[in-house]
Amino acid sequence: MDVFITSKADFDSSIQRMIQQNEIYGVKRKTPSFAFDRLVAAEELCLDYDITVLPPTKYLLPPTESLIKFKLAPEPSIRSSAEAQPCILIGIHPDDLHAIKLLDAVFTGSLTDVNYLARRRATTIVGVDCVNPWPYSFAASMGTAIPPRIFDLWLTDLGDEYLVEVGSARGEDLRKRYLKTRRAREVDLRQRNKVRQDWLKKYQLSLDMPPQEIPKVLDEAWHSPLWEELGQKCLACGSCTMVCPTCICFDVRDGIELNLKEGERYRRWDSCMFDGFAKVASGENFRPTGTARLRHRLYRKGKYMLERYGELGCVGCGRCVHACLVDIASPVAAYNRLAKEAR
Amino acid sequence: MKPKIAVFDFTCCEGCQLQILNCEQEMPDLVAALDIITFREVMTERSDHYDIAFIDGSCTTESEIARLKEIRQRAKMVIPIGACACLGGVNCFKNLHPMEDVLKAVYGQAAPYYDTIPARPIHAVIPIDFFIPGCPIVKEEFIRVVQEILAGKAPYLPNDPVCAECKMVGNVCVFDKGQTCLGPVTRGGCKATCVTGGAVCWGCRGLIDEPNINAEKEILEKAGLSIKDIVEEFSLFNACQEDVWK
Repeated sequence: MDVFITSKADFDSSIQRMIQQNEIYGVKRKTPSFAFDRLVAAEELCLDYDITVLPPTKYLLPPTESLIKFKLAPEPSIRSSAEAQPCILIGIHPDDLHAIKLLDAVFTGSLTDVNYLARRRATTIVGVDCVNPWPYSFAASMGTAIPPRIFDLWLTDLGDEYLVEVGSARGEDLRKRYLKTRRAREVDLRQRNKVRQDWLKKYQLSLDMPPQEIPKVLDEAWHSPLWEELGQKCLACGSCTMVCPTCICFDVRDGIELNLKEGERYRRWDSCMFDGFAKVASGENFRPTGTARLRHRLYRKGKYMLERYGELGCVGCGRCVHACLVDIASPVAAYNRLAKEAR
Repeated sequence: MKPKIAVFDFTCCEGCQLQILNCEQEMPDLVAALDIITFREVMTERSDHYDIAFIDGSCTTESEIARLKEIRQRAKMVIPIGACACLGGVNCFKNLHPMEDVLKAVYGQAAPYYDTIPARPIHAVIPIDFFIPGCPIVKEEFIRVVQEILAGKAPYLPNDPVCAECKMVGNVCVFDKGQTCLGPVTRGGCKATCVTGGAVCWGCRGLIDEPNINAEKEILEKAGLSIKDIVEEFSLFNACQEDVWK
């Protein structure tokens, strides 16, 4: 394993040099929260943050994105819009990286999404262990508080230093070009294990079962009174899905210029919580009530995605738990309650 | 043949017409695609032979009813633009008082020379074909609707609440800052401009098709609003939809 140590002071100046030569998006203060945004100065970077308003997946699947541009005259033509500028994302938490792993399975699996692939290939990932989990997260119990090995570099805060784990050739290149490091010793690795264990204990919410059991719980839960109970309160505002790192649904629309000669097909985040999401051309809506839509969302997170892509659709970040103004979106609360009902 | 366009003003501040004028970049393409023949705020020439009538403002006098009926007869398509035309808008405040009092308050001794009736949105007076909401309208949405009409498509009316776009642009929820907001029940399409600019959503684009009003009231109450505050919150732009939210 290629593991190194860099002092925080050295790290700051490395970031400053990186900013001068690269497009970098990192975690910045957005009172009273944090947000991934373009870094201009090293001191803006907050690596001890609790949560960001939107997950970093917004750089891989942006809220709106052009898919193709077309021209009807003089000759009809179609051009793909898939292209991406190289960038570095700094400060991704383990749970959000698990979400990226799921997105990779969705968009680069049996069907390749060229837009996603272009962005993903152009993105270098520098993650960091979560030092301060916020009160709404349950990532520890989802097994997502430790990063999957799809990062380029991974940082662990050891007080005055960062432990830097290299995860790819691109990460090694970044380390060599910008970071001033020494090789980590056995004692550093032991220290990382220790602090990671300490941080895991800080999570306040927790799933009452191993995450792999969620599908089994859901198998028995289709007719639970829970759905009606939550559905009645649902604003159908879509906030829970918009802030979710694993939500991937989008709507595709065509726009045409006033000259009616050229236009663009684009996609835009959609939400299964919207009334119109499952409405089809005849006007039929196969999930017409908040109750049906809410149930669908929690089945999708806890069962369908696992069955189809091999990864659970919830990484326990807790953004939906907090974003929901009527307190009904929490997957952990729902799954725990359903498990209790089943017993 | 380019469609002939007329823009009419009723009771309003004319800000939505200004938004059309604000489409500076697109103006050459707009006038190339449309034959604008009546638009009092912009030009002195006028004609009664139009295909599409955009209507700014709400209906607040008897004479406006007659004028609307005439427009409806002449136009193939009638499209109200802006909160006043689509919802009645802030003009509906006066509906809370007897009309004589309102007239006296505004015109004093000259009150008998004016006629006024409770403010109504355009669709309450004549049938409409589509509407572009907002206070003021979003100029990109106006352009898009024109594009869609030109292309022969049914114009798209967003029905997702403001919350969705507010999240998409990455705003911190105003409830997290101790403020209140009508975003969860208000028709999106504005890119949550007001919240992004540091304010809250007052509901100028009207309610979504199936708003969960009880849930919205619950969160407003939880945020410390009294019943009176809540009524005021909804009344600013949505007084005419009282039957939905009261």
